[in-house]
Amino acid sequence: MQFRLSLAIGLALTVFWAAISNAAQRKELDVEEQPGYIPTAAEEKLPAKWRPQPVFFRTTEPAGTIIIHTEERFLYHVMGDGRAMRYGVGVGRIGFEWQGIHRISRKSEWPDWRPPPEMIERQPYLPRFMAGGPGNPLGARALYLGNTIYRIHGTNQPQTIGHAMSSGCFRMINPDVITLYEGVPVGTRVIVRQAPKL
Amino acid sequence: MKKLSCRLAASIFAMLFLMVGAKAATLADVKERGRLVCGVNEGLQGFAAKNGEAWEGFDVDFCRAVAVAVLGDDTAVDYVPLSAEARFQALSEGKIDILSRNSTWTLGRELEHGLTFAGVSYYDGQGFMVPRQPERLSALELDGTIVCVLAGTTSQANIPDYFVANNMAHEIAALGSAEDILAAYQSGRCNVVSSDVSQLYAWRLLLADSDEHIILPDTISKEPLGPVVRKDDPHWATVVNWVLFALVNAEEMGITSASVDAAIASDKPDVRRFVGTDGSLGSDLGLANDWTAQVVRSVGNYGEIFSRNLGAGSDLAIERGLNRLWNRGGILYAPPHR
Repeated sequence: MQFRLSLAIGLALTVFWAAISNAAQRKELDVEEQPGYIPTAAEEKLPAKWRPQPVFFRTTEPAGTIIIHTEERFLYHVMGDGRAMRYGVGVGRIGFEWQGIHRISRKSEWPDWRPPPEMIERQPYLPRFMAGGPGNPLGARALYLGNTIYRIHGTNQPQTIGHAMSSGCFRMINPDVITLYEGVPVGTRVIVRQAPKL
Repeated sequence: MKKLSCRLAASIFAMLFLMVGAKAATLADVKERGRLVCGVNEGLQGFAAKNGEAWEGFDVDFCRAVAVAVLGDDTAVDYVPLSAEARFQALSEGKIDILSRNSTWTLGRELEHGLTFAGVSYYDGQGFMVPRQPERLSALELDGTIVCVLAGTTSQANIPDYFVANNMAHEIAALGSAEDILAAYQSGRCNVVSSDVSQLYAWRLLLADSDEHIILPDTISKEPLGPVVRKDDPHWATVVNWVLFALVNAEEMGITSASVDAAIASDKPDVRRFVGTDGSLGSDLGLANDWTAQVVRSVGNYGEIFSRNLGAGSDLAIERGLNRLWNRGGILYAPPHR
């Protein structure tokens, strides 16, 4: 029990430290990764709520803009004429919320994964480097947000969609991030919003 | 002398008239009675339905919110189930204090029955249900489809208008009942179903593979639903209207049933004014000064009420759509609580 508690505190501290450390640390993902696990098609068939869906969405932002409402766990790809394509996403956990406006600075297919040192320390069995591929925790595509450590990327853990458990990145299932990637050029504006604070 | 008495009589008459006019004091009546009498639907999933002895639904929660605002007790409501035909007369005859029964706001209804709609609580409209397909994004992509619709409704009349205006070929299958429509849709006799969006979600639930069908984002008609009061009591209309606005403003400020205490302790001026920590808006309105805090604590904000009865937290799983907040992609906009 005590061991578990101290482990939990240790993990929390490590993750927190990782989040506040600078971009050079390239904090990729949080603690419970399953590198090498390849999700099944059944797992990637999300509950209806989280599947892509065209929705009414009135905005002054131009078509093409990506708007993420973190508290809803939804990403809106603005289509214009009061519509958006909505995707379910996984978001940063409590303490790792952020908001702001960035532009997509880089896109990559099947990105490689380099777990940061603090994650290796905690989970020594993790690979130092994992080439991009179906079992990679970063999934099929990554869209880099400005010069931050954050990105929109795929995942090999479809069950995390709709949850707040990343360290600030936005995860989508691979089929969805592939679709989004096709329609999002470098330079696209990404607006991240949080629930209002009291 | 004769002239004077004439004037006197006129002013006495005017005073009497004013006194009669001033008798329309619904707020005082409700407080004295200790009960709010609320007209609701006889049974409509998500809006008003009896679960055992308890009434539940979106419209029911609005009655509860008004009861908390006026009486401080969400259970102090007498629900009067009303048919579509009887609803407006029941209100104009004073049998109920407020009608909260999925009623569309139109000019004709206000004029005919001497009523006032106290805001819009739910923006409904005619929409389309189609099989879930990645390439089907809008109602403008329905060229060459067969549309199932209830025969003899305004929905049927709206279809040709919309399709012709957008140069889309179509066929209409006008059927007599929801069962017939769903059977035709599932057998492939039609590939689109059209009705009011709230109705489409209820129908979708009846499909065996409901998750494989979506309601498109577009609406082609305006069906603003809202609470209704009598025209002769402007103050009561103000109270009811601002209960609705308070629910919306609470969501916009991020005040939920779980965070009311944090809101009361907040440093933000607009939040403090809203929950009555600062100022006297509540008592000026004739209610408890912290009535908004009480309402949100027992009923929740607009988003919570929507989710619980109609939205993601309910079987219906209706999209917020138009009913999202104005700064969150919808058109729900309440004036400032100040």
